[in-house]
Amino acid sequence: MKLTSLVRKILLVDLVKGLKVTFHYQPPSEAITEQYPLERPVIFERFRGQPRLNSNPDTGESLCIVCNLCALACPEQLIVVKGERNPATKRKEVVSWTYDLSRCMFCGLCEEACSTDALELTQDYEMALYSREGMVLDQAALERGQEPERYAK
Amino acid sequence: MIEYIKGYLSTGTTPGEAGNLFWATIYILLVIVGVSVAVLCMNWLERKILAHMQIRLGPMRVGPHGLLQPFADALKLLIKEDIIPQDADKLVFWSAPVVVTMTAFTTFLVVPFGRTHAVTDMNIGVLFMLGVSSLGVLGIIMAGWSSNSHYPLMGSLRSSAQMVSYEIAMGLAIVSAVLMTSLQTGTGTLSMIGIVEAQASQHTWFIFKFFPLGFLAFAVFAIAMVAETNRAPFDLPEAESELVAGFHTEYSGFRWSLFFLAEYSAMLAVSSIAVTLWLGGWMRPFPSLLGGPAWDMAFSFLPALTFFVLAAGCFLGTIRMPKIPQFRVQTIGLGTFGALLGLVGLVLLVPAVSVRVQDIYWFVVKVAFFMYLYIWYRGTFPRYRFDQLMKVGWKVLLPTGLGVLIATALWGLMPQLSAAITGVLQ
Repeated sequence: MKLTSLVRKILLVDLVKGLKVTFHYQPPSEAITEQYPLERPVIFERFRGQPRLNSNPDTGESLCIVCNLCALACPEQLIVVKGERNPATKRKEVVSWTYDLSRCMFCGLCEEACSTDALELTQDYEMALYSREGMVLDQAALERGQEPERYAK
Repeated sequence: MIEYIKGYLSTGTTPGEAGNLFWATIYILLVIVGVSVAVLCMNWLERKILAHMQIRLGPMRVGPHGLLQPFADALKLLIKEDIIPQDADKLVFWSAPVVVTMTAFTTFLVVPFGRTHAVTDMNIGVLFMLGVSSLGVLGIIMAGWSSNSHYPLMGSLRSSAQMVSYEIAMGLAIVSAVLMTSLQTGTGTLSMIGIVEAQASQHTWFIFKFFPLGFLAFAVFAIAMVAETNRAPFDLPEAESELVAGFHTEYSGFRWSLFFLAEYSAMLAVSSIAVTLWLGGWMRPFPSLLGGPAWDMAFSFLPALTFFVLAAGCFLGTIRMPKIPQFRVQTIGLGTFGALLGLVGLVLLVPAVSVRVQDIYWFVVKVAFFMYLYIWYRGTFPRYRFDQLMKVGWKVLLPTGLGVLIATALWGLMPQLSAAITGVLQ
């Protein structure tokens, strides 16, 4: 046993083994690097990213009933919802809806509190901005969702 | 004047031997340009190959597959602020990179890229190369000392200790190769060209001579030369995780790039020593085993073929490039580059050119193999501890080198020895 280990040492067997491993990794197809703007990562469904206000796909009306539950649930109190009752339909309608993204920690409590599935944290992740302006999203921005600038491909 | 210039071409020797100042200057310029270009290529290749070995992609953004990355790097280094630390020894700090670069380039004076393709043929060629390249240690110590900082000093101390201890093993391996040159003629030679010609006249590369002695000497040299050039796994002087960047921690911009240039040209220089001494220098592979004009003919197509393959690679890249306006410049550039490579290949098909340039091609291919080995080692092996490094140097390589030297001498003297023994017996 001692002798074989000595022979292995002299013939540099372990070093050659290591060299073999790195040599076989060389074809570029082995590379696991993701070329981000060209290839976009697959985001898991439970990922919490950019918030979105959903509207009824048939009528185009906002699903939000201005119950204020999300604003109450938010630990950061960054959601401000103001609504007014429409005398004709006797339903509350949104007057102003703001979501301050700069303070959001994406805990998802607002999403859970929402009784009509109007507020949703989507899988969009490109939320970086050059200034704090534009971080406070209004209803239109929330309903529009994210439109990232696509890298040419 | 024209006679003077044209006269050299028919001499069939190096400009140094012919005493032709004009061609010597041309050769020196060519060598400086060639080495710098090789360092640029190495920069790209190292980053790319290392990345692929680590399952990454490496530079991809500057030019197609990052081909222009070395130029971007060079530009960045040139326009970077040049800082000399306040408490540094200014004169020594200034001269250290100069010393390192000068010694690294001076060694190429005697490197024989072919029978006629060397600046000069010194009768002490190997000794000259070793001597000048060890002077580079002086530059490293100067850099470490003058920076007036802890890490550079530690790095340069390590570097000098390492280089001094590996120089001995290296020297012993070289001596055993030099011994082999004296086998048929009776007079050995230290001249780089003489050593290659000795291998030609003995019909074998010295790596296969006296198997396994030649191979052992080569192995000792191959390990020692990695340590000598401060490369992984013996890169303790520049150990990033321990010493920031070692002796060039305080250097920036152009001075730093001089150190970079010197390191890579030192790698090229020791690789060319190894190629000259053991791998038959400019000779093509198997000159005696696959001899004859037919094989000569076949091997003479290889340089052109290499360039054609490279050109084909470029064209393949052009075809696979995304067909969108943003990539148009890249596509055109890569296509032009491929066309240039193909043109060089076509020129190499001309018999007059290929005869004259073939030896350079084989020399460069062998050196390139060593360069690949350097990168491969770096991508594979973790760094040695300093005591392990010293142990390998003094307790393994030095005795092996000495043993190989003695055994080579005895083997070479075998006919005389056996004659003497039989004489005594009778």
